[in-house]
Parts: sequence; C-alpha cells; structure tokens
Amino acid sequence: MVRRVRFLLGLLAIVTALAAATRAAAPAAEWTDDLSPIAPADWNAARAAHLLERAGFGGTPQDVAKLAAMTPQRAVDWLVDYERVEHRAVPFDESGVWDPGMDPFPASRAEAVRIGRERGEALGAKVLPEGSQRRLQPVVDKFFYGLRANSIETQRLGVWWATRMLTTPRPLEEKLTLFWHGHFATGDAKVRDYRMMLRQNAMLRARASGRLRDLLVGILEDPAMLVYLDNGENVKAHPNENFGRELLELFTMGVGHYTERDVREAARAFTGWTNDVLAFKFDTAQHDFGAKTFLGTTGPLNGTDVIDTILAQPVTGEFIAGKIYRYFVRDEVSPAVRTELGRGFRASGYQMKPLLKRVFLSKDFYSSGSVATQIKSPVVLVLSTYRKLGLQDLPTIPDFGNLTGSLGQRLFDPPNVAGWAGGRTWITPATLLQRGNLFRDVLQPNPAGFRAPDRQMPGIYARVGENLTKGMNITEATKDGTGDAESNQVDRDEDYNTRYASYRGYIMAFERTKPIPRHAADFSLTALTAAAGATTPEAVVDHLAARFLSVPLATKDRDAFIAYARSKPLTSEPALRELLYLVLSTPEYQVN
Amino acid sequence: MTCSCSRRDFLARGLYGIGLGAGLPLFLDRTSAALTAQALQGTSVEAHPDRILVVLELSGGNDGLNTVVPYADPAYHKARPRIGIAAEDVLKVHDGFGFHPSLVGFERLFKDGKMAVVHGCGYDRPSLSHFSSMSYWHTGVPNAGEPLGWLGRLADDRLDPSTRNLIVNLGTSQSLAVRSGKHSPLVFDDPARFRRDGTDEQKRVMAGLAGPGATASANTTLDFLGATARNAADSSDFVRQASAAYRTPVDYGIGNAFGGGLQRVAALIAAGMKTRIYYVVYQGNAFDTHVQQGDVHSRLLMYTADAVRAFIDDVARLGRADDVSVLMFTEFGRRVEENGSLGTDHGTATPMFLFGKQVKGGFYGQPPSLTDLADGNLKMTTDFRRVYATAIKEWLGYDDTAAVLKGRFQTLGAFA
Repeated sequence: MVRRVRFLLGLLAIVTALAAATRAAAPAAEWTDDLSPIAPADWNAARAAHLLERAGFGGTPQDVAKLAAMTPQRAVDWLVDYERVEHRAVPFDESGVWDPGMDPFPASRAEAVRIGRERGEALGAKVLPEGSQRRLQPVVDKFFYGLRANSIETQRLGVWWATRMLTTPRPLEEKLTLFWHGHFATGDAKVRDYRMMLRQNAMLRARASGRLRDLLVGILEDPAMLVYLDNGENVKAHPNENFGRELLELFTMGVGHYTERDVREAARAFTGWTNDVLAFKFDTAQHDFGAKTFLGTTGPLNGTDVIDTILAQPVTGEFIAGKIYRYFVRDEVSPAVRTELGRGFRASGYQMKPLLKRVFLSKDFYSSGSVATQIKSPVVLVLSTYRKLGLQDLPTIPDFGNLTGSLGQRLFDPPNVAGWAGGRTWITPATLLQRGNLFRDVLQPNPAGFRAPDRQMPGIYARVGENLTKGMNITEATKDGTGDAESNQVDRDEDYNTRYASYRGYIMAFERTKPIPRHAADFSLTALTAAAGATTPEAVVDHLAARFLSVPLATKDRDAFIAYARSKPLTSEPALRELLYLVLSTPEYQVN
Repeated sequence: MTCSCSRRDFLARGLYGIGLGAGLPLFLDRTSAALTAQALQGTSVEAHPDRILVVLELSGGNDGLNTVVPYADPAYHKARPRIGIAAEDVLKVHDGFGFHPSLVGFERLFKDGKMAVVHGCGYDRPSLSHFSSMSYWHTGVPNAGEPLGWLGRLADDRLDPSTRNLIVNLGTSQSLAVRSGKHSPLVFDDPARFRRDGTDEQKRVMAGLAGPGATASANTTLDFLGATARNAADSSDFVRQASAAYRTPVDYGIGNAFGGGLQRVAALIAAGMKTRIYYVVYQGNAFDTHVQQGDVHSRLLMYTADAVRAFIDDVARLGRADDVSVLMFTEFGRRVEENGSLGTDHGTATPMFLFGKQVKGGFYGQPPSLTDLADGNLKMTTDFRRVYATAIKEWLGYDDTAAVLKGRFQTLGAFA
C-alpha cells in the first residue's frame, strides 16, 4: 500500500514536472546578464531540467523531478560539489597491446625500417637472418600492428568514457572533463599512444574543478600534450614555438594580449620540457637558462614562471570564464558579464567551483537568452538521448564513436589544437539531416547487419587476406590489380612488403585487443509511455515532446505527429519508435 | 553514365533527366522543377552569368618556399640545408623558380598556360596564428573583427538571394569565407549521406512540418535551425543524385580527401547546378608541417596538384573550360629557416595560384627577398586582396571590388 502511494506520488511529481517543462516557463528576458542568484520561489521543473541539460547530460523526468524538489542552491551544490556523491568508477580495461621494445614508438615506417637496419631489431621485432626473403618484414608488421592496436584501444577508450558519461552519478564531473578535453585539445591521431590519452583524461578529470593553475601545470607536463604540440622538439638551439603560442592563444589569454616576442620567449622558457614516454621529463641539457622577457617580466624564466606570469594578467581570468560561459550558458557573452566573471574568478585564486556555482545560480543562466538556445554537441546529443531513454548501459550497436564522429565530434580526436568550435558550426544542411538519421539505427537497430569498426580493415587489405587464402604468394596477393600509383609505389617487395605488413598489422591487432562488447539499446517505449499514463495519441505525442524537447513544437507539427500516431497501434513498440524517430529528427531537438 | 556530350545536352539532362528519368519519388521532381525555373530565370544583369569561381583552401600554412622553389637563390639553400629541394630535383618553370618535384600536375598546367603564380602574398602586420590568419584570409579584412566572409559579401552584393545554392562549401563545417548576410551556403561533405532517412510515410510527415522559425520567435538559434532545415530539404536530393550519377574517365589521383571534393564540384557543374562559388577545403590543418616535413609535404603537394590538374581537365571535358577558374590559397607560408625538427614553423608571405583556361599563365608580382626579412619571415610583396580583387573583377566581372573588399586593390591583369 505504502509503495503504491509512493508510486502515485512519484507519478504526480513527474506529470507536474512535464507539464511545467511544456509551458517552457516563459523565462524572463529582463534576467539577461543579471548575475545575481535566482530565488527559491523562482525555482521550478523547467529550470531544473535546463540546469540538468547544461551542467550534465539531461535525464529522465524522474531525474528532473529530483532536482526540482531541491532549492536551486542545493541543486547546484549537488552538481558542483560532486566529490560528495559516491561513485565507484570502473577503470579502463586495457588489452595490454604494448610490448617491450615498442617505446619510443618510431615516427614513421621509414624510421622503423632505419632502426631495424641499424640495430637488427626494432619495436621488439627481430630482423630475419641474412639470406631470408623480406628480412625486415617482422619490423614493418610490428610497426603497423602498433598503429592499428593503438587505434583500436583508443576506440575502446572512447566507449569507456562515453559509458562513464552515461552512467555517472556525477554528471558535471564528466561534462567538465569534456570541456577541458576540448580546451586543451589533444588528438590520438597525432599522439599515437592511447596510454598517454588515458593519463591525460584522468589528469583533466582529477583537476577539472580545482584551481586553474594546477590544470595548467598538469597539461604543460602532460606527455600527450607535449607530443601533440611537438615540445619534444623544443630545444635550446632551435626553439619550436608551437607550444608557447598555443598556450597563450588558446589555453590562457587569446590573441591580442601578447606580442610575437612573448611567444618566442615563452617557447624558450619551455625548452627542455619533454617526456620520457609516459612520464614528464625536464631535460636540463636542452633548457635555455638564459634571461627572458615575457609580458614585461624579466629573468631566467622557466615554464612555471611563465604560467604564473600569465595568471597575473586580468585577461586570463576573463578568457577562461568567458569560455566556460560559452560552453555552459550561451554562445555570446556580453563584455560586462565576461569582465565580472573573470574578475571574480581571478580574485578567488582561479577556483573553478565558485565560478561554476555563480554561473549556474545566476538569473542570466535561466533567462530567455540562455534557455534552449544552445546547439547540442554531437556527444551531448547522443548521450542525452540515451539518458532520457533511461538507459543504464551504453549501446554499442550502432557504434558510439562512429555516431558522434559522423557529426564532427569523436572523443580523443578533436579537429585541431583549437578543439571543437561548437555552437552553430555543428550544423550544416548535411549534418542537420544526419543528426536525425542516426537515431534510426538506435531505435531500429540491425545487429545482423552491424559491422564492428574495431574489427574492420579497409577493402584493399581485406583482399590481401582473401588472396592469401586462395593460395597466392605474398607478392601476388598484394597486387591490387587497379595499377594505380599507390600500388606501384608500395610494392617494391624486396626487404619488406608494405601492403602485406598493413594487412598483418590488422590481423595481429584484432587478435590482441579485447573486442568491444556489442549490444543495442535496451529500453521499452511502451513501458515508458504506460508509466507516464499516456494512452491517447495526444498524450503520447505530448509525453515524448516533453521528455525529449526543450522547446514546444509548433501547433501544426504537434498535430502532424498526432495524426501519425492515430494511424498506429499505440501499444506497439515499433510504432512508438517510429514516432519517436520523428520527434528526434526535428530541428527543435538540436537545442537545449 | 560517362558523358562526352555537349554542355547543352548535359545541362538538359542534369536539369530534366535526373528527376523524371529514373522513377524517383515525387518530391525530387519538384526540386528539379525549381532548379529549372531558376536556370531559366537567369541573371542577365551580370556580365558573365555563367562564370564559376572555385576557391581552394590549403589549411595549416603551406610551405610556399618548398612549393615554388627559388632554387637559383643561394640564400634558400643556406636557410634550408636539410629540407631544401636541390636545384636538380626542382621542376624548372620560370627564371630561377621551379616547382617541388611532386607537382608534376602543376608543371603540366603551367606549361599549358593555364596557371598563374602570384609571388609573396600576404598582408600588413601578419599574424602567425593559424586561426587568426585564416580568419583574415576568410574575411579579407586582416586585423579586424569582420563577421562575414569575402565570398559571402561578394554574394550579398552581387547575387540574387532568392536563387538558392549560389554558394556551395564542400566540407564538414561551414567556412567563414562563405559566411553571408543574405545567402545560405550549401555545406556538405559526403553527398551519399546527404539525405533524410526513414520510411516514405515518415519522410512525408517530415517534409510537411512547419519547423521552428516559421512563426516569429525570439530564439535566433531556432530560426537558424529552421532555415538550415529548409535548405537541406530543398537541396539534398538533387545533390545526392547528381553526385551518384557522375562518372568521369579523369583520374583525380589518390589523395581522395581533396580530389574527391573537386570531383564532387565537377559533378554538380555537370548536373547544371547554378552555383557560382564553390569552396573546397583541404581539411585538418594538413599543411602544418612542423616536424619531419619532407615525405608528408611531398605527398600533400602531389595530391593537391593531381587533383587540380584533373579538375581542370574534367571541366574541359564537360565543355565548361571557359566558365570555370580556380583560386588557391593558404593562411600563411612558413619560416624561411628550417627548424631543428626537419620541419618549418609558421611564417608569413606565400604564393597564391590561379588556374583555368581563361587565366593568363605566368608569374605575377615580385618574389620576396630571402635575406631582407622581418623576424626571420618574408616581407610580403603582394597584398592577397589584389588576387581576390582580380578574381572578382577580371573573372566574375564585378567592377566595384572596393565595396566587397572594404578597400581599393589593384588587379593583376591575370585573366584573358
């Protein structure tokens, strides 16, 4: 009996929450740019839903009701002081693909071959005895194995992180880590070492809501970043400016607040900051201990001195606070808000939590300029859909990395050092269609036709395998018959055969990496709509719209969906999924 | 359908044949009809209403000195003892200058008189940041916060915004260069995926939706999404069919990312798309060669030259050689002196290129000195907006280049 009453009360709360969300709460225009905190009296389900969308990945009506039942202060504290929420995260389960001898990984096949010729082995693979055919084949095989295995481990790492984003009880922890991943953009395509990417991810998460200085020191001593920005090449005799420039332009201050000379002096200060594979290393011999003048400060500055000089600039607080604002609130930040947030951030000693709390509590955050005006990033689009469906496990059919990658965002693979530009740049006519299309594979999955990307090789190499099975020798098997320039180039076939090595690399990588477990999304729309008491076409359409959309549908479009729903049996799971596909394909679904 | 038919036949087939021929759904006919109407409507106020400008962006900062090599200048070999191109390897084309050995495609075009090289392009107070410098090239207004792209402003000033798809941008995201106040550029990467999936019934429902922005709203993000959705619905079927139907005997080379993009442009031209400005990006900061640049730069240049040569040949095959010209640029060149990692750091001035049958082949402008440098970087000799002005005035026939470029820039006399 008690349970039944509790259930009914819960249902009532959900229905009320949905009704409120549908009204869209007419957020006040006069709250725009007002950083003062929202009053408990102004708190409601729609605003709680907005907070959860932005500070996390959205959620079910039950998740929203939970936040709506708190005061705004408590809701924000619960999200921001996330260490208080117990969470036993599952660590990444490494396949163990890195053999002794594979460090440091050669920059190119040519480099691997050169080392092999010189030392008789490379990457832990021995060159074959003199007189053997294709003496260097094991070395080149191993080189391609390393590339492929690393790429698969990075895919697995992406699935692991997405799973964590979906299941964590601390959504802001992951949303912030994703922010820093885009801010300190680093891509495995260049780093070519998932172990470094994993360590960077852990470092960003551990320092995500602490002090900015710790994050900056962390990233500037981070092996993945040092490799990504070529700082191993930044040596006393030939400073490489990449690192110093991006630090100033993208990580801390933005263009216009330093000179080219400051870039060069910063590069000098970071000479010798390098890595010994997975560990930071300060190479005294390569460091320039001479005097530098950086942003008006003169002395034998090193990297940490440069960071402290940067943190003394008011523009640094504004730059980071402005970027946080654009990520969590909206694309355009007014100069006054940017200045004020930056001032407060700097005055707090660059602590992230007070900044985040101030933003999430501000009236501006709940104003009409902020609510439902952001375009969801591909990762947020997919994960928030999964959360709204109440999924407890990340679907891997369709493949998560391919879903978001096809829309322009793949974890551990930002487009360049500036990260993802975000906002309207996510949307083109083509990606807008694709953002709807991809949910067809989620709602109507086809496991029989699914091809796992972590077990696929391009056709050109798969044909090598087929040819070998037919009994061809390696030379024959690796001719591709098209006579194009690449095949002519590739197959000189004396010391080694590159195409065969590439094929072998895939096979060895498939053997030694753990497969990504594949399963489709596990949910029942019939159960979800029944639990919400939606039994008429109108109620079903309204429930789906309220559950998934942050803005109401145009009346005409609501009518079109209701007409569609009328022609279908509402107790049929496939029919409900077809209807939801329509809702998720609307332009309205792109904003939160 | 390999087609060697005349341009007029092809146009007719593109405009009428695709929609009606193959038992395609009804809505496609509407698209074809709309395009036909646009085609017939014409734009007779223009001097050259058939002319097309294709702009190619090499992102990352191409090393101009290893592209157009000043092989006769000892200062070049001195500054680049390890990564310089030896004089005997250079494809010599002009008075002390030659192409990188991978640029056989360019050598062919140059010798056929279809390629112009403009020395030392850049701007005052150059930025060495990819993002800033690229945005200056995109807007055509360096060291300022201009919100629209130069091609977007060109379209705003000169092209009728009621005609759709006058600008096509091949890429995963829209370039600032085509950002326009009045036009909505068509942006796509893979035409095969440029479609709405679903059952016929679902597609009918979706096609009938009003969408956001149909009624006045205060939410500009929703307005933007609504406009983009309408553009996608109108254009996707035509583009997809045109690309899928396209067959050409011309080999665009193995650098599929770039060659593929140019081949898609050829397909749309063949299908009679009324687009006047195409924008194609060599994506991913590919030319940012800080480290061990030899092999990778050589590959990038080969892909580029093979693709451009193929495109020029293909357009000629389509009977449109007189209507299509190409402008190619990068956001900056690289430092004169090689760095310690067998690569090059960000620099300044760099050559620009024009291609096409109507281009007057040859070298333009003064080569920058390799010894009289600013902080180790070349001093630019030609403002890059002179090349833009040349394309606007001499090619597209718009005299008032100052209105588009927000300043007066002398043209080069590079078109016949």
